[in-house]
Amino acid sequence: MNTLEVRNLKKTFKLSKKQQKIEKTNQKLKIAVNDLSFTAYPGEIFGLLGPNGAGKTTCLRAISTLIKPDKGDIFVGDSSVINDPVSVRSKIGFLTSELKLEDHFTPNYLYTYFSKLHGIEDNIIEERKDGFFKKFGINEFKEVKVGDLSTGMKQKVSIAISLVHNPDFIIFDEPTNGLDVLTARSVMDYLVELKENGKTVILSTHILSVVDKLCDRVGIIINGKMKLCDTIENVLKRDENSDLEEIFFNLVKEEKLQEGVL
Amino acid sequence: MKNILTIFRKEFYRVISDRRLVFTAILLPGLAIYIMYSFIGSAIGGELEDITQHKMIIYTENMPTDFQNFLYAQTVNPEFHDYALADHDEVEQQILTGEVDMIIIFSSTFEQDIENQIVSDIMIYYNPGEKYSESSYHQITNIISLYSDNIGIERHGDTYYAFTLESEIIMDSEKASGQQFAMLLPMLIIMFLFSGAMSIGPDSIAGEKERGTIATLLITPVKRSEIAIGKVLSLTTISMLSATSSFIGIMFSLPKLMASGGQLDIFIYDAWDIIMLFSVLLATVLVIAGLVAVLSAYAKSIKEASMLILPFYFVSMALGISTMFSGEASTNLWVYFLPIYSSVNLIIAILTFDISVTAFFITVSTSLIYVAIFVYILTRLFQSEKIMFQK
Repeated sequence: MNTLEVRNLKKTFKLSKKQQKIEKTNQKLKIAVNDLSFTAYPGEIFGLLGPNGAGKTTCLRAISTLIKPDKGDIFVGDSSVINDPVSVRSKIGFLTSELKLEDHFTPNYLYTYFSKLHGIEDNIIEERKDGFFKKFGINEFKEVKVGDLSTGMKQKVSIAISLVHNPDFIIFDEPTNGLDVLTARSVMDYLVELKENGKTVILSTHILSVVDKLCDRVGIIINGKMKLCDTIENVLKRDENSDLEEIFFNLVKEEKLQEGVL
Repeated sequence: MKNILTIFRKEFYRVISDRRLVFTAILLPGLAIYIMYSFIGSAIGGELEDITQHKMIIYTENMPTDFQNFLYAQTVNPEFHDYALADHDEVEQQILTGEVDMIIIFSSTFEQDIENQIVSDIMIYYNPGEKYSESSYHQITNIISLYSDNIGIERHGDTYYAFTLESEIIMDSEKASGQQFAMLLPMLIIMFLFSGAMSIGPDSIAGEKERGTIATLLITPVKRSEIAIGKVLSLTTISMLSATSSFIGIMFSLPKLMASGGQLDIFIYDAWDIIMLFSVLLATVLVIAGLVAVLSAYAKSIKEASMLILPFYFVSMALGISTMFSGEASTNLWVYFLPIYSSVNLIIAILTFDISVTAFFITVSTSLIYVAIFVYILTRLFQSEKIMFQK
C-alpha cells in the first residue's frame, strides 16, 4: 500500500560551541525531532505545520534519506529509510528550497540528466518532459541556463525535475515560497492534480490558507513533537469560533507557556 | 577613515575568527615552503652524498706512479684497472652503461716528456649521460690540473704547461636526451596533473555542496559509491586531457628551449614507451583525482577545498623536484609502493629507457589500490550527513 509512515522518529544533533552560543544553551545535544509519528495516505495531501525550528525540515530530510534517524523508522510504501534508502529515493519526489539546480545547465539537460539517474528509458523521458514542460510553460525556456531563469521558472523546473520518475510519494517543502500569485496558484493546482491521481502528498508550509484550502489532514509539530494530527475538519471543530491560524497560534502559545518562555 | 576601519575590521575578523582559514591562509604557506625546501635540500644532500660515496672505476694506460700517489694524497681512491690488458670494446660498452666511469690514457712517454719539459698529453674518455662518470670526470680533471701545477712548481720551480688534456665523450645520445627529459618532465607532469585536478575538483564537489546542488543529487536512487566513482572519473578525464595538452606542449618546446644546451630529440621514444608513459600518467592522475575529490568533499567551500589541496600540491611538486638532481629512477622497489613518488620514479625510468617490469606493475597496481581507497572514503563522506550538510 502506498502509505508513508513515520514511526517514532527521533533525531538529535550535536551542537558546536558556536551553535550552543546561538541557542543560548550549555547542552551539547539538540533534540530536533522526538518520538514523531504520523501516516500519510494515498490520494490525500497531508499538511505539516510548525513554527520555525519545530522539526519539520528534519522530518522531511529524514524521509528523503538525506539524514538518518537516531531512533524509529520511516516506511515509504514497504521500504524503510534505514534498511533500503536507495529504494525509498526511487519512490519519492522531494522538493525543498535546500535542493538547488546547477545554474550552468538548461532545464532540458537537467530533466534528462535526473531522469537517467532514475533509470528511465529515453522514449519515456521525452514523453514526460514534453508533458511537464507544456504544463508549466517551460518549453520556451528549456534551452535557457537555469542561472538566467526567473525565481518562479526555476521553481517550476525544480518541481518538474523532482517528479521525473513519476513517484508515488511527493514531499514538497514550501513549494510556493517566493512565487508570484499566478505561479503559486499553478503549483497548488498541480498538487491537487497529483492527489487526485492517487499520489501520497506531504506538504510543509507556513501559509495556513494553503493548508486550509489544499490539505485533507494536518500534523502540527512543535518542539520536535507532534502536537496535533487530524483532518482539517476535526481540527477546526476543536474551537468553532477560531480558524486554523488561531488554533495553530494557540497551540504554539500553549507550548511556550509550558516551557515558561511566555 | 572610520568606514575604512570598519570594513577592514570586518574582513580581518572574517579570517581570524575562522580557525581553518587561519591555518590554511596564514600558517600553511610557511609550512608548505618549509616542507618543500626541506625536500629539495635533502634531495640535493642525498645526491651529493651518493656521489661522494661512489667508488670511481677507472681504466688507465701508462699511468705514472707519481700521479697515482698524487691522487691518493687528494684522498681520492678509485678502483684502477689496466686498459692495456682489457678488451677495449667491452670497456667502452661499460662506460656507455655506466659500469665504468672513465678511461684515462697517458702518453707512453709521459714521464720522459715531463722531465724534458716537453708538453705531453692525457686523453680522457667518459660519459656525461651517467652521473657518476660525469662527476668523476670533473673531480679527476680538477686533480689533473692541480697535478700540472704541482709538476711545474716542484720539479721546475715554476708553473708551466706540462701537458694537454683532451677528452672524448662516449655516450648513448638517446639515453642522454632521455635523461634530460627525465630531469625536467616528472616534476612538470605531476604539476600539470595536479593543477588539472585542482582547477575543477573543488568546484565539482565542494562547489556542489556550497551551491546546494549536491543534495539534489543525493536524493536520487544512485548509490553513493556510483556518485564517487563518477566524480573521480570525470576529474581524471579532465585532468588527463589538461596534462596531455601540457605534456605535448612541453615535449615540442623543450628542444627549442634547450637548443643552446645540446640536442634533444623527442622522437627517441617508440609507441611502447608512449603507451607505458600514458599508463603511468593515467594511474597517477587517478590517484590525484581521488585525493582531490576526497579533500573537496571534506571541505565546506571551494575556497577551503583549494586551501586543503595546496599542501599536497606542494609535496607532490617537491617529490618531482627531488628527482631532478639525479635524473635516475630509484632501484629500491619499496619506492614504487608510495603514491606519486612511485610515478615520478617510473616516469624517469621510462624516459631513460631503464624501465623495470616489476616497478611498472607495482606502481600501476598500487595506484589502483589507492584510488579504490579514495573512492571508499569519498563514498563514506557522501554518506555522512555531517560532512555533506555542515554549515
